[in-house]
Amino acid sequence: MKRNRLWMLLCAGLLLAGVIGCLWVARLSGGEIVEIVQNGTVLYTLDLARTENQIIEVSYQGRTNTVQILDGRICVQAAECPDQTCVHMGYLSDSGLPIACLPNRLVIQFADTELDGATN
Amino acid sequence: MKTKRLTELALLSAIALTIFMVEQKIPNPIPIPGVKLGLANIVTVYALYRYRPKEVLLLVSTRVILGAVFGGNLMALLYSAAGSLLCLAGMIPLHRLIPERMLWVSSILGAVLHNIGQIIVAVMVTKSIGMLLYFPFLLVSGCCAGAFTGLCAQFLLQRNPYIAAYLRSH
Repeated sequence: MKRNRLWMLLCAGLLLAGVIGCLWVARLSGGEIVEIVQNGTVLYTLDLARTENQIIEVSYQGRTNTVQILDGRICVQAAECPDQTCVHMGYLSDSGLPIACLPNRLVIQFADTELDGATN
Repeated sequence: MKTKRLTELALLSAIALTIFMVEQKIPNPIPIPGVKLGLANIVTVYALYRYRPKEVLLLVSTRVILGAVFGGNLMALLYSAAGSLLCLAGMIPLHRLIPERMLWVSSILGAVLHNIGQIIVAVMVTKSIGMLLYFPFLLVSGCCAGAFTGLCAQFLLQRNPYIAAYLRSH
């Protein structure tokens, strides 16, 4: 009986850790510099505030992700991958959460998230 | 392996695969890579408490490989394979410690282990540490999804004494 309660506490602890982690990630400041990383290599480093609206195409093994920059925001407009998760993620938000297209090994993230930490 | 056993496992694989395929057709409301309900794991958790570890391993690998082939998403194979293996490696010892009426707990722990496996592969594949920022979200979703699938499997085992008794006697 007592052991059962311990297991439940462990689950509650995991959930709590997750919620706290989510809140922490949501508090991360974004910054302005955005990196487009593919397969570990930084392809583009962009200052969103100073980049004009444009469309960047990134290919991986013949499959293309179309990255759109519009009014200082960045999103994946179209992706040739089965799950389309990166398209549904929409614009890279002010939180530190990167946009990732795992099938095409593409990550769009703030370059300075880690350094800034939760300062604001 | 007895033919009967083999047939039961094949049936469970077919059920899991069907659930997997149907779930894939349901649009995911939460657009975070790796977040999903994982309904097919109802079968996994169920089998874990009714079959030998070796048989569960067989069942899960069949489902993961065939699921990737039928789902047309071979890219996802790496993630689901890593997640499933770590999940099973943790759950096989855990299900001996956790009694059947606490099945949902072992399901939650399994789901969290699955997410840990996924995130490790995601970091390795993209070579980007930033992927770790997803982990808290996966943790929360793993707890919720694990509790749901675990409770489903638990009700299935408890509400169906006839089937449970039948399977135990064979």
